Amino acid sequence: MTRILVLMVALAGIFGLAACGGGNNAVGTGNGGNAPGNTAADGGDGSGGDTGGTDAPEKLIITAIPDDNADKLKENYGKVAKYLEGKIGIPVEYMHVENYAAAVTALANGKAHMSWMGGVTTVQADQQTKGQAEVVCCRDIDKKFHTYFIANIDSGIGEVKNLKDLAEKAKGKSFTFGSKGSTSGHLMPRHFFTTQSGSKPEDVFSNVAYSGSHDKTLAQVADGSFTVGALNYATYDKASDDLKAKAPIIYTTPNYVDYSWVAHKDLGADLIGKICTAFLEMDKSDEGKAILGFFKAGAFVKADLKEWDGIRAVMDAGVDIGG
Amino acid sequence: MTKLGTSTDRYAAKRPWGHFAALFVLAVLVLGSFWAADWDFAALTDSEKRGRAIERAWELVGSFSHPDLSAEWASRCWQLTLETLSAAVFATFMAIILAYVLAMGASRAVCVGEESARGWWRSFPLRSPRAALCSACRLILDTLRAVPDFAWAVILVAVLGLGPVTGAVALGLNVTGILGKLYSEFWDNINEKEYEQIRSLGAGRLKTFLYGIRPLAARSVQSFTLMRAECAIRNAAVIGAVGGGGLGAEIMYQIGMGKWDKITTLILFTLGLTLSADLASNFIRRQLRNDPNHPRAVRSRSTLASISRGYIGVGFGLCIVMWAVWFMGWGNSSGPQGKTRNYLEPLVNLVSGEELSKFTFFEDLLSPDFDMEVWGGQDIYAIRANPFPDPDAPLGLFMITKETEGIRLFEQYGITDIFDGDAWTAWEKELSKWFVWRVVKSAAVPLSMAIIGTLLGVLGAMLLTYPHSVAFQLESQQFTGETPHPVIRGLRLIQMVLARGIGLVSRGVPEVMWAFLFIAFFGPGLLAGAIAIALHSLGVLVRVFSETVDNVPYRNFEQGFRGSRMTCFAYTAGPMSWRDWMTYSFFQFESNVRMGIVLGIVGVGGLGFFFTFNFEWFRFEKASTYLLVMVAITVVIDRISRGLKLSRMKA
Repeated sequence: MTRILVLMVALAGIFGLAACGGGNNAVGTGNGGNAPGNTAADGGDGSGGDTGGTDAPEKLIITAIPDDNADKLKENYGKVAKYLEGKIGIPVEYMHVENYAAAVTALANGKAHMSWMGGVTTVQADQQTKGQAEVVCCRDIDKKFHTYFIANIDSGIGEVKNLKDLAEKAKGKSFTFGSKGSTSGHLMPRHFFTTQSGSKPEDVFSNVAYSGSHDKTLAQVADGSFTVGALNYATYDKASDDLKAKAPIIYTTPNYVDYSWVAHKDLGADLIGKICTAFLEMDKSDEGKAILGFFKAGAFVKADLKEWDGIRAVMDAGVDIGG
Repeated sequence: MTKLGTSTDRYAAKRPWGHFAALFVLAVLVLGSFWAADWDFAALTDSEKRGRAIERAWELVGSFSHPDLSAEWASRCWQLTLETLSAAVFATFMAIILAYVLAMGASRAVCVGEESARGWWRSFPLRSPRAALCSACRLILDTLRAVPDFAWAVILVAVLGLGPVTGAVALGLNVTGILGKLYSEFWDNINEKEYEQIRSLGAGRLKTFLYGIRPLAARSVQSFTLMRAECAIRNAAVIGAVGGGGLGAEIMYQIGMGKWDKITTLILFTLGLTLSADLASNFIRRQLRNDPNHPRAVRSRSTLASISRGYIGVGFGLCIVMWAVWFMGWGNSSGPQGKTRNYLEPLVNLVSGEELSKFTFFEDLLSPDFDMEVWGGQDIYAIRANPFPDPDAPLGLFMITKETEGIRLFEQYGITDIFDGDAWTAWEKELSKWFVWRVVKSAAVPLSMAIIGTLLGVLGAMLLTYPHSVAFQLESQQFTGETPHPVIRGLRLIQMVLARGIGLVSRGVPEVMWAFLFIAFFGPGLLAGAIAIALHSLGVLVRVFSETVDNVPYRNFEQGFRGSRMTCFAYTAGPMSWRDWMTYSFFQFESNVRMGIVLGIVGVGGLGFFFTFNFEWFRFEKASTYLLVMVAITVVIDRISRGLKLSRMKA
């Protein structure tokens, strides 16, 4: 006990001296890194009032659901942040989150101002912010989004005409969705599977897993870890030919609406309008075109939260995974 | 009590009925775990799947010859390793402080002290304010301990955001629960007579604690704190899988993508971290525990040297803590563009109350869903419009949804059909409509995994203890009387080094990482989880098992030696260490149940999986029910082990 106390005091002293001596440099860089963070928190709080104040934050924090490799996301949303910064005139920072729910929570509790959401998360954002979420825009491709069911080439499951057919052919095989919170990787394939085959995936497949992201689903079906999987068409289409050959498409679902940029209404109509314009005119500049390339889109288009009511209805009907 | 007359009666009384009972219970548990959960052995029986699993395992082994040591990847791993270390140290430090305070409350000897209450009144929590405080502290500790670090992380990610501090706090909360329980038990286990003198001199409860109870338990407290610190480092290496920072996220991602050369580098860094943690904690232990009577004790030449040992040990520990805080706050430059980022900021905001309001977001966690409506209701199905008209679906424009459910338990089979197997199936099916029953049922997965995993681990550890023990490999001539040929001694040394290597690797790689690997080999499921738990338990147990064996005085072996080291081990060393082995095994089982829940969170299924699922779908009231069951499991196991007096630990 005494030893601990004596040493604590002594070490505190030493560290104090060290900080005075060589620490200036470190403190300097530390502040450099911190200052924006602090203002961001302030900004978030300032705009977090119930009045829905129209004060624009000093700094816009954007986030996105992690549906792809983290490094890729960081690189590309970094570009989005830079592009937006140039257009709206306030600093923009990308904040990475590890799962879909965290993106919604971040938007709901003011840690982020705007987020790239999937279909389910768009609706969840609306629910969790108690109606304070606004859809800024979505991609042209989002209005006719669909999911591919893929199967390992060695499994012998060829193309199927519908999912009832798949349920019969692949009974007792293993199956993987993407992330639990994903629309195109979980909710919609589950919905189509259940309505078409009349049974839950858990009752048909020997084991139903959640790989965590679309690219992992593809990798794991291709290498045979899972026989069948479901993932969004955009990720599949840009994958390497080698992977595609190992995991061919066996079924394509009907279209539905998916991703969108969702902002918290606290940002104020002005700023949201500015951001929307920035996205809509993205296809006019080279910098914007590069970003659109990453989004696999021709352009961003206007959208309204009402268009997500279909997803909301599927969610309301209950997602029964057995627990 | 009957009077024992004849020798047969005496023999019958001495028969080890307890052992038979224990074996019977064990058999029931094993059969129960295979029956209650869905085991899929296809990965072992199906030749195609087995081939693929072996092929992948081989790929991993092969990749050890060419790990990805490119400067970029290695430096990233190094940064993540430092992040892991700082999170673990931070967590342990936080846990020690919190646990110390809470344990003072939870310990009867410290908090309640002397009292005249006897009988049932003595165990009634509301008999006095102090007793109520004591029970409240115990409840807090039970909750903190029961909810695994991964589950804490899942909750905290939403409040603190992503990063090492989230992992550190999540780990810290869980370790607080574990340490707090151990501390309070150590203090309670000290015989009152040993500190009676202090009390009789007029010391109050605090003084009695500081000068009487605390010093008497100091050695156990120190030893277990260091042991938990090693554990925390292992868990910190994987907690990133749910957003806690450190190596975990990268491990999970790369295994998912099958990049074996990168995985190998990650495994090497993790092993390096856990092994140096072992060395560091041994160093602290050596400095703090100088037992002058130990045969290998280091005798200091001067008074100064002997006094300074303690200061060196404590100082070393404190330096690491200070580094961890500095690194987390100001030194970590693994963020984007190599900028340093203050990861402590969210914590500071939390403590200063700024973010505390964000917890209201989770208020539903406080109102668990017990789903009582199903009792007495009717099944009602509804046809709704299908929002995505689908030509392939039989109903096309519509879909059927279940609106309400009702349990009619004895409608089909009455209570008199109790011997009818079908009746049980039907009852179970009806009962499964009740959410709470489904929650309880989902606990079968972690429990089965823990039972089978621990059992395999214990059996493996008992076998591996023989080659692992110094007594039986290097120093056996001290009780066998033989003079082995140098070649034989060399062979024995190799045997021991191999056994130690296996033990080292299997405990140095955290359970969750083993689980990721076996999931990659076999596909997710109980099999992968149970093997992961078994392997890690094997590594942890073989160390303590062989320590027990090595601590038996050699003259005891000399008496029991009948010409073969192997029989001496099986018939003398084994039985002599049996009691300790069982204690350690049960302790391991408790932690394996928690690990079973964690493996559920990372994808094996069952309780942990459903908890995260409901949490991530913002069904907090359901997630909360799962949390309650986690707490219930831990409390039940804890009470059983106290009842059996199994968790009696010696330091």
